[in-house]
Amino acid sequence: MNIATTPPTRIAAIDQALADRLATIVGEKRVLFRPSELLTYTSDALPSYFKQPGLAVFPGTRDEVIAVVRELAARQIPFVPRGAGTGLSGGALAEGVVLVGLNRLTRILSIDAENGFAVVEPGVVNVALTRAVAAHGLHYAPDPSSQAACTIGGNVAENAGGPHCLKYGVTTNHIVALRVVLPSGDVVDLGSVGGEHEGYDLVGAFVGSEGCFGIALEITVRLSQNPEQIRTLLADYLSLDEAAQTVSAIVATGIVPAALEMIDQATIRAVESSIYAAGYPTDAAAALLIEVDGATAGLEHDVATVEALCTANGARTVRIARDEAERTRLWQGRKKAFGAMGRVAPHLVVQDAVVPRTKLPAILAEVSRIGERHGVRVCNVFHAGDGNLHPNIPYNGSDADETARVHDAMKEIMQACVAAGGTITGEHGVGLDKVSYMDLIFSADSLATMCALREVFDPDRRSNPGKVVPVHSCREWHGTPAVRAASGSR
Amino acid sequence: MTTVATEAAASVRERILDAAERDAHLRIVGRGTWLDANWPVTNAEPLSMHDISGIMDYVPGDLTLTARAGTTLAELREATAANRQWLALDPHGSDDGTLGATLATASAGPLRTYFGGPRDLTLGVEFVTGAGVIARGGGRVVKNVAGYDLTRLMIGAWGTLGVITEVTVRLHARPPADESFAVDVDSHTGAGEVRTLLRRLPFKPYACEVVNAPLARALTGATGAQALFRLGGNAEAVKAQRAALTELGTVGPMDPSAWTRLRDIEPANAVVFRLSALPSAMDATWRDAASIVGGASDAFVHATPALGIVRCIVPTSGGETTSVLAGLAAARSTHVAERLPASAWSGAGAISDPLSRRVKATFDPHDRLNPGILGGT
Repeated sequence: MNIATTPPTRIAAIDQALADRLATIVGEKRVLFRPSELLTYTSDALPSYFKQPGLAVFPGTRDEVIAVVRELAARQIPFVPRGAGTGLSGGALAEGVVLVGLNRLTRILSIDAENGFAVVEPGVVNVALTRAVAAHGLHYAPDPSSQAACTIGGNVAENAGGPHCLKYGVTTNHIVALRVVLPSGDVVDLGSVGGEHEGYDLVGAFVGSEGCFGIALEITVRLSQNPEQIRTLLADYLSLDEAAQTVSAIVATGIVPAALEMIDQATIRAVESSIYAAGYPTDAAAALLIEVDGATAGLEHDVATVEALCTANGARTVRIARDEAERTRLWQGRKKAFGAMGRVAPHLVVQDAVVPRTKLPAILAEVSRIGERHGVRVCNVFHAGDGNLHPNIPYNGSDADETARVHDAMKEIMQACVAAGGTITGEHGVGLDKVSYMDLIFSADSLATMCALREVFDPDRRSNPGKVVPVHSCREWHGTPAVRAASGSR
Repeated sequence: MTTVATEAAASVRERILDAAERDAHLRIVGRGTWLDANWPVTNAEPLSMHDISGIMDYVPGDLTLTARAGTTLAELREATAANRQWLALDPHGSDDGTLGATLATASAGPLRTYFGGPRDLTLGVEFVTGAGVIARGGGRVVKNVAGYDLTRLMIGAWGTLGVITEVTVRLHARPPADESFAVDVDSHTGAGEVRTLLRRLPFKPYACEVVNAPLARALTGATGAQALFRLGGNAEAVKAQRAALTELGTVGPMDPSAWTRLRDIEPANAVVFRLSALPSAMDATWRDAASIVGGASDAFVHATPALGIVRCIVPTSGGETTSVLAGLAAARSTHVAERLPASAWSGAGAISDPLSRRVKATFDPHDRLNPGILGGT
C-alpha cells in the first residue's frame, strides 16, 4: 500500500492543444484541464491514494469515446477509463495522464425480456438496470454494495461481485458479449448473443481486466428471473467462531443461500450509531445476514434447515424478516456499513482477500490478533459464504504513526490470507492498492504471461498504465528464454 | 495458492521444449476418446496426459477440488460422491474422459441448464504455453479477481494456447432429492412448448432435454418424442416441480441411467453438430435441425430448450452424410461441429479474427500445440 501522495507530473503532450482538440469532439465543457477542476478525480472510494490526472475528458456518446481514444492513440498518450469512481482498489486513477470519464454514457440500448438479455452503455448505473427490467420480473444479479452509484462498465472492468454472487455468480458469469474500443481505436465485437460462440473466450479475458484492455462501449448482460419468494434471516452470536462454524454448516447441506454475510461487533456498533441503524443487536460478537430465495414450494423447508443450523451452532436469536420493509432495513445496515464507518474516523482502508471457507474461524482469530498487535481497530463485514473477507480499519490519515500501523496490519492480514491458501482480491480488483501483493500469489512467469495477454489488447500499454501487474514483471516476457533453441518458423 | 510450478507442468514443459528443438508439433491427448473430433490434426506427435493424473487437494468443507488434468471424470465422481458432493459437469462422451479435455473443449452436457459449463465451474488452472512458459490463472478459492483471467482464456481453447496441467474446480453438495422424469411431447412442436413452459416456471430444472423419437426409443423405450427432466432440491421442492410439469402431459418417472446413455450414445464415425440461436427461436432451430437431418431416419436429435441449442447425431452408415453436410453448410442457425468426416472440415475457422490470431501468436508462436484445431492456420 502506498499511502504517500506523489506530486502530479503531467506528460508533456498533455497540453492546451490536446484539450482544445478533444473539446472539438466532446464540447468545451466536457474537457477539464485546470488542476482545480480535476480535484474530484484524484481518488476513488478508497481514500488512500491521490493521483492528479493531466486532463479529464467526458464523452457523451459511443462515437465520441471512439474519437477520443483514436485521438489519444494518434498522439500515443496513456489514458485511464473511469466509471463512477466508486472502486476500492485505486484502479481508476490517472497520474498525469488522461482520464476518460464514461459516466455520461447512460443509455440502456435494448432489453430482450423474452431471452433475458439487455444491452447497455458502460455508464449505466448498476441498480438503474435492475429498475429498468423490474417490470419484466427480471433483475441484474451482481450487486456490489455501491450498486446505487457504480456503473456496469466499471463492474465489467473489475469483475465486480456483491452479496448475492454466492448463489448467482459474479459479473463474468453475467456478461454475454461486448463491443470494445481497443486502445488503438479499433472497435471489436467479443462474444455473441444468439447461438453458441466457438473460439477463444475473449469476453472472459476482457471482464476483470481493470481497464487495461480497452473501453467497453456496449455490454450485453444476462438478466436473471426474480425469485418467487425471498426470506431474510438475521442470526446473532456471542462468539465470532460460532458464526463462522454456522457458515460451513449451511454450505455443507447443499442449500445455496442467495447471500450469507457476516458482520462483527465493531461494524454492528458503527452501523447502529449511524443513520443506517438496522436493529442489529449491539452486544453480539457477530451477526449473520442470510437470505434464501427461489420457488415458494420447498423454500420454508430450507429456511427451517438454516434456522436450525444457526441455533445448533450457538446463535442466540434468529430473526426472520416479516416483510419487505424489515428486509430492506436489515440489508441497508449491511450495504451501508462502509458509509457508517465514516462516523468513526476520517479514513478507512478496506481489504478484499478470500480464504477457503474452512479457514474462516482461524483467519478471523488471526486478523483480530494482528489488529491488537498493531493497536488498530479491525472491523469485519464480509461475504462469509464465499470466504471473501473485507477487514477494514478506520483511522486518521493525518496521524503518521497510526497510518504506518494500519499499513503494517493490513500487510500482515494479506500475508495471513495468502498463507491460508487464499487470494488477495475477491471482487474489488488489484488496481494500485494490491499490485505489490501480486507476486505473493503468482510466479514471475504467470505475471509475465498476464502482461503478454494485455499486450494483445494494448501493445503500447497505454490503457490504465501501472495497474494490476507489477511493471517489472512485464519486462520479463520477452527476455525469458522460453525455448532452449531457436526453432524454425513454419 | 502456490507460485511454484508443479512437477507435472515441468514434465510437459520438457516435452514442449524437446519438440521445439526438433520443430515438431504436438497433439495433446487426454484419454484419446475424442481424437477424431473437431478439426483433424495431422503431422503432430501425441503428448499424452495419461500419467499426469490424480487428485492433489480436496477439502470437502470448501467444496473445491484440485486435480491434475489427466484425471478422469470417473475418478472425480468417485472421490466426491463419498462426501455427497459432485462436480456438476456431464459432458458428452463417457466418464473416462479427462478433466483437462473437458475444460479445453468447454464441453458440457444436460446439467449445463442449471449449473453452467466449465467456465462457470473452474476456479483456476495451471498450464504450459506453446512457448514452454508455465503459468497459472485464478486460484483455489471460490471468488478471485486477482490478475487477468487466464483461466477462462484456456477454457474452450482446445489446447491451442497451452497444455492444461492442473485444474481447481468448484463442487456442489448433492441435494436431498434428485429425480428424473419423462413426458411425451409432440415431435414437431415439443421443443418450443417446453421452452415456453421453462420461461414461466419459478425454478430451473437441473437438466431438461427434448429428444426426438429415435433417441427416446433408445433412452427410455418410448415410441415418440419426449421431454426429459432432472429435478433437484429438497423433497418438497422436487414434488412441486414435478407437479408443474404436468402442464405438458403425463409425467412419468425415468430411470436416471438414461442420462448416462444420452452422453455416450453417439456411434463411432457419426456426424455430430449443434445448432443454436436465441432460446426464443427454439421452434425454428428445432425445425432447422429436422430439415438438415432429413432423410436420416435413425438420426438422434436433442434440444436444450433453456439455452436454444439443438444437437444432432447422424450415423454415417445410412449414406445420407452428403446431404446432411450440405444442409449444415446452408443452415440458418449458428452451428458448431463436434465431429465431421476429415474431408468436411474447411473454412477459416473460429479463431480467424485479428484479436484471436494475436492471442494465438502470443501463447503459441510456433503453432506447436494442436496445429489446425479451431482453424487457426
